[in-house]
Amino acid sequence: MPRPATQGPQQRVGDVDTVGIGWRYHHYGELLERRPALAFLEVHSENFFALGGAALAVLEQGRAHYPVSLHGVGLSLGSAAGLDTWHLDQLARLVQRIDPVRVSDHACFARGTFQGRMVHAADLLPIPFTTEALDVLCAHVNQVQDRLRRPFMVENLSAYLRWNASDAERVWSETEFLTALARRTGCCLLVDVNNIYVNALNAQIRFGDTVEPMQSCRDWLDAIPREVVGEIHLAGHCHVNDEHGEIVVDDHGSRVCREVWDLYRHAIARFGAVPTLMEWDTDVPALDVLLDEAQRARALAALVLGGAQRLSAPTASAGALA
Amino acid sequence: MTTLAAQQQFLLDALLAWPAANAINNIAIHTIDTRARGLKVYQANGHALAQSALLAAYPVFAQLLGEESFADLARALWHAQPPTRGDVGCWGEGLAAFLHSSAQLEDEPYLPDVVRVEWALHQCGGAPDADPDLATLALLTTQEPEHLQLHLSPGSAVLRSAWPVASIVGAHLEGSPSLQEAGAQLRRAEAQDTVVWRAGLRPRARLALTGEHDALRAMLQGQSLAQALDAAPELDFGQWLPLAVQSGLVLSAHAAGAEPVPT
Repeated sequence: MPRPATQGPQQRVGDVDTVGIGWRYHHYGELLERRPALAFLEVHSENFFALGGAALAVLEQGRAHYPVSLHGVGLSLGSAAGLDTWHLDQLARLVQRIDPVRVSDHACFARGTFQGRMVHAADLLPIPFTTEALDVLCAHVNQVQDRLRRPFMVENLSAYLRWNASDAERVWSETEFLTALARRTGCCLLVDVNNIYVNALNAQIRFGDTVEPMQSCRDWLDAIPREVVGEIHLAGHCHVNDEHGEIVVDDHGSRVCREVWDLYRHAIARFGAVPTLMEWDTDVPALDVLLDEAQRARALAALVLGGAQRLSAPTASAGALA
Repeated sequence: MTTLAAQQQFLLDALLAWPAANAINNIAIHTIDTRARGLKVYQANGHALAQSALLAAYPVFAQLLGEESFADLARALWHAQPPTRGDVGCWGEGLAAFLHSSAQLEDEPYLPDVVRVEWALHQCGGAPDADPDLATLALLTTQEPEHLQLHLSPGSAVLRSAWPVASIVGAHLEGSPSLQEAGAQLRRAEAQDTVVWRAGLRPRARLALTGEHDALRAMLQGQSLAQALDAAPELDFGQWLPLAVQSGLVLSAHAAGAEPVPT
């Protein structure tokens, strides 16, 4: 049954700030039983595309107590092959059913043809920061916003390879590219601080970039206009060094590292009290560990903002940025 | 083909082709990725996702195959039949056909039917919800069977097999029958029909009663209760109906040709 409109991003559970957690099946029952004070729950949209059943029932129970943020991993917004209208239809139905506080996906592609068939690689594959890719991404974000009839948010990737550009192509910096996306479509940006740090480490390890990673990340954050940021993501990553070589992988499988906390402090100081998600997707720990990480984000944000500013989320507004 | 489309095509080829040597050489021309290290992260992600997605849909088959063989098979299926949707929960339907064509599994001919039952359970779990309306069953006492239809639970299905797949699935998911008994039935090559349905929100599977397969198949095809009973003369309807209602398989009765009223 469609739910009446909610209070929007400022809706609260108890007297808490803007920090939410990723709600995974490991914690479905415990969270509903304990109902800890959280600003929102985030779920992966695709896990609830079924027409009915237990997962959807659990999500509706969660929605009865918390705002829900629908975060997708499968729209393939940057695909030259176009959006899958089936996928968009499933998302639209879920949005209507859950009335989420925010809806988002990634600046990536996964969809295309393989051996003559349309396939979906089920990953967040990088797109080049070219004008052609920007045009495709903007067209698809507009298509999504028109279909959902609400503003959308797009997240920056952790990317493990870089595209070569031809001499004829203009190649934007990632921050220029994402800012242009927000300006042209009115979407907000979902800034994943851990992704920025993972990319900076890999730039140094894999591609020989000489800029110190933390400075590179601060520069990245400073290059994003504050008014386009609608949410921040925090997560853990891991270092892999095997027979193929060294690389840093954004696995969402550990606590947030000290450097990412420092960058979060920088981000909050720059962007204000935007909603913040604590993600943990592999080797998911006890709920208390996740809540402890959320509390740390909450405390850090309060410290940075000096307690003078009441924490509240900016409302994503397509019109304001168009 | 545009530059962007060509770039994306090269990367998809590199990730989904198997073996991938040529495709990796092609993508190396278009990316900065020393020794294809980044590509191997994406490949590893895909293989891990293939295994977890397949395990979610086929937990019994995974146990039957063993962890190492299951991982190998998940990887092979990933490359032979890549996902077509952005919801990876939709992936894996082609496993039964893939097993049929596998020379390595020729000695385990019952596995494709086990997989079919598990896919039916997987689909059943996400079928549209429907509530029982038991008061409508009173129609059974006032209306002729040719004017009635029974409304079955979401995602209901019946599967016929030359193997004891209901017992194999039941032994692994419900603990009944025992693994020993299911193994004995397998050695005797007992044919079984399996009923899949949803008890509330929980997908279930059980051995079909005598005649139940044909009756349920008729009901699932939208035939009247009279036609369903005609199709299954061996079914003891008086014994079956209370069991079917109590277990949540039958939700309601309604006039033939009319949709059940949503509750």
